[in-house]
Amino acid sequence: MDPVLIGELLAGGLFLGAIAALLIGYPIAFTLPGIALVFALLGWAFGAFDLSYFSALPLRYYGIITNEVLIAVPLFVFMGVMLERSQVAEQLLSTMGILFGKLRGGLGISTVLVAALLAASTGIVGATVATMGLISLPSMLAAGYDKRLASGLICASGTLGQIIPPSTVLVFLAIILQSAYSEAQMAQGNFAPDTLSVGDLFAGAFIPGVALAGMFAVWVGLVALFRPASAPALTIDAAERRGLVLRVITALLPPLMLIVAVLGSIIAGVATPTEAASVGAAGATLLTMVKLSAETLLPGAEQARRWMAGVWIGLVGGAVVLGVAFGATAVLTFAVLLLLASTAVVLSAPPARRRFLHILDQVTQSSLVITTMVFVIFLGASVFSVVFTRLGGDTLVADALSAMPGGVSGALLTVMAIMFVLGFFLDPFEIIFVVVPIAGPVLLKMGVDPVWLAVLIGINFQTSYLTPPFGFSLFFLRGVAPPSVSTADIYRGILPFVGIQVAMLATVWSFPQLATWLPGVLYD
Amino acid sequence: MTTPPEAASKATTPGSANTEFAGPRCPLLATAARLDLFTDRVGRVVSYLGLATVLIAFSTVYLRYAFDIGYIWLQESYVWTHAAAIMLGGGFTMLREGFVRVDLYYKHWGVRTRAWVDLLGTLLFLGSFLWLLAYYGWSFVAASYAMQEHSQYEEGLPGIWLLKGSLLAFVLLLSIQGLAVLLRSLSILRTAAPRT
Repeated sequence: MDPVLIGELLAGGLFLGAIAALLIGYPIAFTLPGIALVFALLGWAFGAFDLSYFSALPLRYYGIITNEVLIAVPLFVFMGVMLERSQVAEQLLSTMGILFGKLRGGLGISTVLVAALLAASTGIVGATVATMGLISLPSMLAAGYDKRLASGLICASGTLGQIIPPSTVLVFLAIILQSAYSEAQMAQGNFAPDTLSVGDLFAGAFIPGVALAGMFAVWVGLVALFRPASAPALTIDAAERRGLVLRVITALLPPLMLIVAVLGSIIAGVATPTEAASVGAAGATLLTMVKLSAETLLPGAEQARRWMAGVWIGLVGGAVVLGVAFGATAVLTFAVLLLLASTAVVLSAPPARRRFLHILDQVTQSSLVITTMVFVIFLGASVFSVVFTRLGGDTLVADALSAMPGGVSGALLTVMAIMFVLGFFLDPFEIIFVVVPIAGPVLLKMGVDPVWLAVLIGINFQTSYLTPPFGFSLFFLRGVAPPSVSTADIYRGILPFVGIQVAMLATVWSFPQLATWLPGVLYD
Repeated sequence: MTTPPEAASKATTPGSANTEFAGPRCPLLATAARLDLFTDRVGRVVSYLGLATVLIAFSTVYLRYAFDIGYIWLQESYVWTHAAAIMLGGGFTMLREGFVRVDLYYKHWGVRTRAWVDLLGTLLFLGSFLWLLAYYGWSFVAASYAMQEHSQYEEGLPGIWLLKGSLLAFVLLLSIQGLAVLLRSLSILRTAAPRT
């Protein structure tokens, strides 16, 4: 038989075999390369695969682990985990809840806002939904929120991290699409190809991401308006009201400023994602340090809060004065000095030191596990794509996609549908590492805009993770929700948000400018 | 559906609950526990490379923006700490069940079936992957060592073979943890009653 035909048969077999092998339940990062090797050996036996293709693998791995841009990933993960484990995130949410709580639906809206701000940093759906479910669901239920609204809102908000910068999924997508993009342009005869940066994708995802968060909030507002009993206002006692200004200064403004500074500097093009991420990680550590020094050195929550408010007012005031007088670097210096000072305070007081070291242990170990998991899947999946491509799977995919009725739209729709279904079983990382290197070049050669493609992929993932009965955001909420919330409640509650997602997907599909306009304005 | 690494990282050592299926003196389990302990100790140290990455990267940024100073060796240092963390963290991530599984069926299966999955998966999938990396990685690292490869910048770091060699350390540490999984699965298959 013709080796090309055998190769293509094996490539098809590899795809089906991989799905079957993954369902067995051995870790994905090793199942993908393992099954690919089986088919590579089969291909070798039939003369359809040359084992020397593997000799380029170590260099490729070396390129991945030393890629400067991808270092943003562990830094963002560190930032997110630090904000979570030091309970800065929790206080942000509760403060925002009190701030907006006297409005009907206010608690729900603050859930969306906090998820939009914080979810972004790890990009791992399960982690975000579980965290929000533990923090936010009990307070919404206690306030008398409709179980369906509350659970749907948390699942939906938890997926915002796929799309809202600094999504780690977008960082990886930028790296993978970049090589596909230059390849596609070279194939079209353009030998000075345009580049694609993480900043492009962050800017492109900004408007659709914010619009989605906005629509979630508007939906909660509408429910509160027409069915007031589903999203009641909180009753806030006098003490809470009096302490509110202090809480806003200590628990809300600092993380807000940090996130705005990190995102702003990337989107404005002032700093590279890696630089901004390192500032974010150091900044999250600073917030933790100040919080710990205040809490441990001063007995009584109120006193600690006043102390922190003083520090933050001093910091913000000082930063503004310094910034006006000497520029942004003076602000940075000021923050560094504050970090050193608060570290000294924390390390010199034994109880604070013990708490800090405990938090630090958890943060470093958690970040290591998340980061290693994501990168090793990338390494494993690249064995899969080498074997699949070299067996001739790439021409198979290209032929199949160009034979789709409807031309480019048909091809794109097919890829989106495949990713949507894969989303029932796999994490976003696994899907983009497997599907995008194979289907990406084909789509880009057909003239699909890479920023638009990335944004569609992001919204598509979110939708997939929300759609019952497989959407796995729902499983994670089920895992942390109290028994009073039934699975049916979660499934029913999510439906309006799936509707919003589909509407947004259709809108971005019809108006690509929503994704491509901002990067065009910022960087061209 | 897959397991969130966040939740998994909070879990205790995987398989520790399985001790009940074999006596405490079972030599397979005792060896597995030793290997786990080794991986855990290595991981706790390696995890601080993440903190080092944060501190070095931030220092680089600060020096550049505040004083317009750029040291290439400093910039390369955080690439090293980052790469080393990933390569040396593989075994630890496996110990903490950080590598996600499609657990649609796996979580519903009995202890014996899961032990079979882990046994065969480790031998076939993990084993062949690590073999591939060791085979092609060895000459890759050896070539770098033979030419005493230095950073492409003169002020950069020497000893690139060490950085590239982390690939082999990845293989070694995952083999150790893979062995622990094998031993534990074997002891379950030997002692757990069939049809549990």
